[in-house]
Amino acid sequence: MTGGVVPTVELRGVERTYESGEADEVRALRGVDLSLPPGEVVSIEGPSGCGKTSLLNLLGLLDAPTRGEVRWDGRSVGGRTDRERARLRLERVGFIFQRFYLLPTLTARENVELPMRALGTPRADRQARASALLAEVGLAGRERAFPHQLSGGEEQRVAVARALANQPGLLLADEPTGELDSENTEAILALLGRVQEERKATLVLVTHNPAVAGRARRHLTMRDGRVVGDARGA
Amino acid sequence: MRLWGGHGRLRHQRLQTILTVAALATAVALPVVLLSVGGGVSQHELNDLENAGYQIVISAAGLHGVANAHALTDRILAIPSVTAASPVLSVAIDVFLGSGAAVPSLAEGVIPDQFTPTLGPTESGLFPAHLPLGDPTDELHYANGTYAGPANYSILVSSPFAQAYSLSVGQSVKLAPTANDSQAVAYNITGIFGVPLGTLGEVGAFALLLPLSDLQVMTGYAHGPGVPVPDAADTLEVAVTGAVATNPTALNQVRNEIAALVPYYGVSTLSQEAEQLQTAASVLTGFYLALSSVGLTVGLVFLALVMMRRVESDRRSIGVRRALGLPARSIVGRVLLQSVVVAGLGAVIGVVAGILLVEGLATWATGAVQEAAQLAIFVPLTLAELTGAVLVLSLLAGGSAARAALRLDLAEALR
Repeated sequence: MTGGVVPTVELRGVERTYESGEADEVRALRGVDLSLPPGEVVSIEGPSGCGKTSLLNLLGLLDAPTRGEVRWDGRSVGGRTDRERARLRLERVGFIFQRFYLLPTLTARENVELPMRALGTPRADRQARASALLAEVGLAGRERAFPHQLSGGEEQRVAVARALANQPGLLLADEPTGELDSENTEAILALLGRVQEERKATLVLVTHNPAVAGRARRHLTMRDGRVVGDARGA
Repeated sequence: MRLWGGHGRLRHQRLQTILTVAALATAVALPVVLLSVGGGVSQHELNDLENAGYQIVISAAGLHGVANAHALTDRILAIPSVTAASPVLSVAIDVFLGSGAAVPSLAEGVIPDQFTPTLGPTESGLFPAHLPLGDPTDELHYANGTYAGPANYSILVSSPFAQAYSLSVGQSVKLAPTANDSQAVAYNITGIFGVPLGTLGEVGAFALLLPLSDLQVMTGYAHGPGVPVPDAADTLEVAVTGAVATNPTALNQVRNEIAALVPYYGVSTLSQEAEQLQTAASVLTGFYLALSSVGLTVGLVFLALVMMRRVESDRRSIGVRRALGLPARSIVGRVLLQSVVVAGLGAVIGVVAGILLVEGLATWATGAVQEAAQLAIFVPLTLAELTGAVLVLSLLAGGSAARAALRLDLAEALR
């Protein structure tokens, strides 16, 4: 497995508005301009409801902007079909969701295998890789456990392993260590850092944890749907 | 990997699945029963026609509607190539045995020497070669439009009837058209005949055979409300020579000659009867399918609703799969697979339940229901087609749910 090519991601004048009730609408993002060159490690901070998750969804092609443009490798993704966007997500994006979102009917290993299976990775290869990833996040021997049999921290680690399954070029993590103790937080951050280093992947971390944000080399601050701070340095 | 929903929802979804399977099984069991029993009865009647010893049948619109049966028999016998013409009158009567209790029975009045030649190869072995009913022509009692002569008072009793009530030749029983003992007339048992028990229930096999004129007088079908004598029968069965029987053109010519004699009655060859029977069977099959389609439609609508509900409750899992980039065919395939599995289970259980129900009716039901169930035929191809149709339709039912799964707003589903 060679993994997905690391994309250059750009947002130009992006706005995202959600319908809320009959007449109300929520402006989650307001005129966001952002460029993420390959290999960047970025943290996004800000209060709840400031648009962090909405921004992450747009970066990872889970959502489309109400206005503005999202570009990958200099090309707008607005005109791409659902199928093309799904393929880009599968091959090039790794998501770590805030609430893990493991599939409850699959074991830990099957959850990790899922993206590889969709990509057509041979069974033996994906099983071996899934087991290796689970071992890397400290879950060796827990491959056959279903999500309801795992603790919150274990679920989060499975979610991290799943995000790394297809060796993505763009890793999007929404509070990736929210359920972990300090020891496991350190282990997961080390793993993410190693993957980022090896592949020169782009890593975007949404976090309230200073320890996590401290791993980033670029720090975005958001408020009321806008990027109000963009600082560099550890 | 488990096919059905998450741990927390498992019990709820299992109940939905069980109810859906039950609804579909019920919807499938109905056509299994209707088609197998209906088809079996039709096939049995066709077999009866194929094995009959006569080739042409005369019938009238009303019950016991063939009038002047003796005279008509003579006129038909005068047609060359006709070897026998047998009027048959079938009437439900009561038999009074020694205990005084009335036993319902089916009496058939026949002209003895005309009846025997119209029996098919199977039936003829069940009757004596010459029916011991006295006058073989039935003309001593009845002649020239009057019932002046002495009645013979002889009857043949079916073997199940004789066995059930320990009746034997030489004994006497009393017969009456109603359960009123005061109207009963004594008859002598002069013979026993067999019946194919495999196709008749116990009560249906309680049959008597007696001279046509005796039955007409006893039941009142000798006398009309006014003076004219109806000399009634239900049908008149005509046998022809072998050469004519195997030549459709010649047989049709004889039929036309008979029809010219009785233009006001229905006259048809057995092949015409078979065609009519098959047409009627096709109409009935269509009716059964239409009736069944109502149940199937309800079952499949139920399935569609349950699948929509399942997509709704699995929206997060579906959202995660789509977010990870799993192709649409994988999402759709999963929803359709669930739909097909539920429908397939329902169909298989429905087929098995239908078969068991028919077998149960054949074993434990009584009367006509049991007789019909015993004739049921289970055609594997029909059962497979029924199951296949349910599976195909389940794809439609699952299709709407799959479409909904693909239209989920990802950001919304993952919120």
